[in-house]
Amino acid sequence: MKPNSLLFLVRECFLSIRRNGLMSLAALGTVTVALTVLGASLWTAYRVVEVAQQQPQRFNEIDVFLNVETERPQSLAVMERIRLLPDVSTVHMITKESAWSYLQTSNPALTTALPDNPLMDKIEVEAKQVSHVDRLAISLRDTAQFPEAMQVNDGGQEVRKMLGFARLMRVIGGGAAIGLFISTLFIIQNTIRLTVFARRREIRIMQLVGATPGFIRFPMLLEGLFYGIFGAVIASGIILFAAREVSKFVADIHSPLLGDVPSRLTAPDMISGLIAIGALLGLLGSMLAMRRFLRQI
Amino acid sequence: MIVLKDISVAYAQGIPALAEVCLTVQRGEFVFLVGPTGAGKSTLLKLLYREERPTQGSVFVDGQNLNVMRLRQIPQFRRQIGIVFQDYGLLPNKTVYENVVFALRVIGASRKEIRKQVPHALEQVSMAHRPDAFPHQLSGGEQQRVAIARALVNDPPLLIADEPTGNLDPDTSQGIVELLCHISANGTTVIVATHDSAIVDRMQRRVVAFEQGRLVRDENRGAYRSSEHVASESASSAFQFSEAELTAEDEIDAILTGAGL
Repeated sequence: MKPNSLLFLVRECFLSIRRNGLMSLAALGTVTVALTVLGASLWTAYRVVEVAQQQPQRFNEIDVFLNVETERPQSLAVMERIRLLPDVSTVHMITKESAWSYLQTSNPALTTALPDNPLMDKIEVEAKQVSHVDRLAISLRDTAQFPEAMQVNDGGQEVRKMLGFARLMRVIGGGAAIGLFISTLFIIQNTIRLTVFARRREIRIMQLVGATPGFIRFPMLLEGLFYGIFGAVIASGIILFAAREVSKFVADIHSPLLGDVPSRLTAPDMISGLIAIGALLGLLGSMLAMRRFLRQI
Repeated sequence: MIVLKDISVAYAQGIPALAEVCLTVQRGEFVFLVGPTGAGKSTLLKLLYREERPTQGSVFVDGQNLNVMRLRQIPQFRRQIGIVFQDYGLLPNKTVYENVVFALRVIGASRKEIRKQVPHALEQVSMAHRPDAFPHQLSGGEQQRVAIARALVNDPPLLIADEPTGNLDPDTSQGIVELLCHISANGTTVIVATHDSAIVDRMQRRVVAFEQGRLVRDENRGAYRSSEHVASESASSAFQFSEAELTAEDEIDAILTGAGL
């Protein structure tokens, strides 16, 4: 295509968007809403899976509290015995002295009120895999093997729940994403079809004076692309705003489960992703909308 | 220029739109296609710009066999044809000048060609004085002139007009048809489908008449109705008139007798 014609077509496209005023606004609005729903759902699903997956890493730790009477060499020996267990990845001891000194700085009122250090040695055990935590906790609770262990804390139940939830979210999120993708495509297709319908007179004249189908199609593809991209930009604005409000709210409730899990998906990633999806849907939608229409040349 | 060989067009179920039509039109000829609505005039025109395909027979325009023309060759083919409709087909949100330019832009003409050809086309139809008017600011006749300018701007060898005067008053219609004749005099083949009998009678050009899809008459300097048809019609109306007169006289007679006079 000649650059002269290309310029003409781009100008025709934007002229048509402007002259169709309300119609274009309605089209843009519809596409924006559809993309907002799609983008928000995708992002929410992604975040939920991300948070859910991150949680078990906190739960593959088991805390073993030793009897107060346990002497330090004995504690160290217990730690070495734990280290030899097959499911253990790392072990780490928090001595009662270090715990006490931490408490002294963090809560001096409490420590001065106490006559002596009442704390015990704690061994932090990290399981090789989240799914091994249960088995590991059972062997650590075995009094025959570890008589020094006074208390063993693990996140077993929660781990199972979170893992199941993450799996479920991935399935539901994936299914919902496909459904929303298709319905957004249909919405865009319908929207473009309406603009094609609004311009049928123009298209008819173009066909009769000998414009090639490509020439007729191009401005409408451009229009679809425009709605897709511009709609995605507005949609990502809405989603980012909503996400900020939601995270403020989440920070307010201080839930340990919804703690500060950093996202691997940054805002620029999200925006560019949504724009790409919008552009793709816009193009596909206008192609679908014109397929039947242009066959009748 | 145009050769139709044994053309039949049948739509799904029903009377054929065209049946066994043979027609040859020479380059530069001016032809009226006449006949009542539904006689097949528009279908024939559609065959010429490859909007319709014949069920039987073959269509040749400017040496090209339209039956074997590929879809992607159609745009190129249509650039050789100017088409004018009853409803003008102007874009309402473009000015006169832009409407004519549009036809050139969509076929990829350069600015230079546009600057040269558009004013020339507008001059040909005597609309050069109102290039910035929008269609709704023009009369029907003026709009049709712009539509003709758009059809002519590409300098096509064939101009097709489907009821170009259908929406116009007699004087304006006359002007439009004279314009089409003038265009034909410059070597363009012009085919006009119409049921405007007054104009056809006055112009005395080649007339091809259709009835129910069949070509019933092809005369070189013809009138809207065939000479026999006109004679028999006037005879029958004369008879009816005398009959009516008779009845009226009888009635008067009866009234007079009834009144005892």
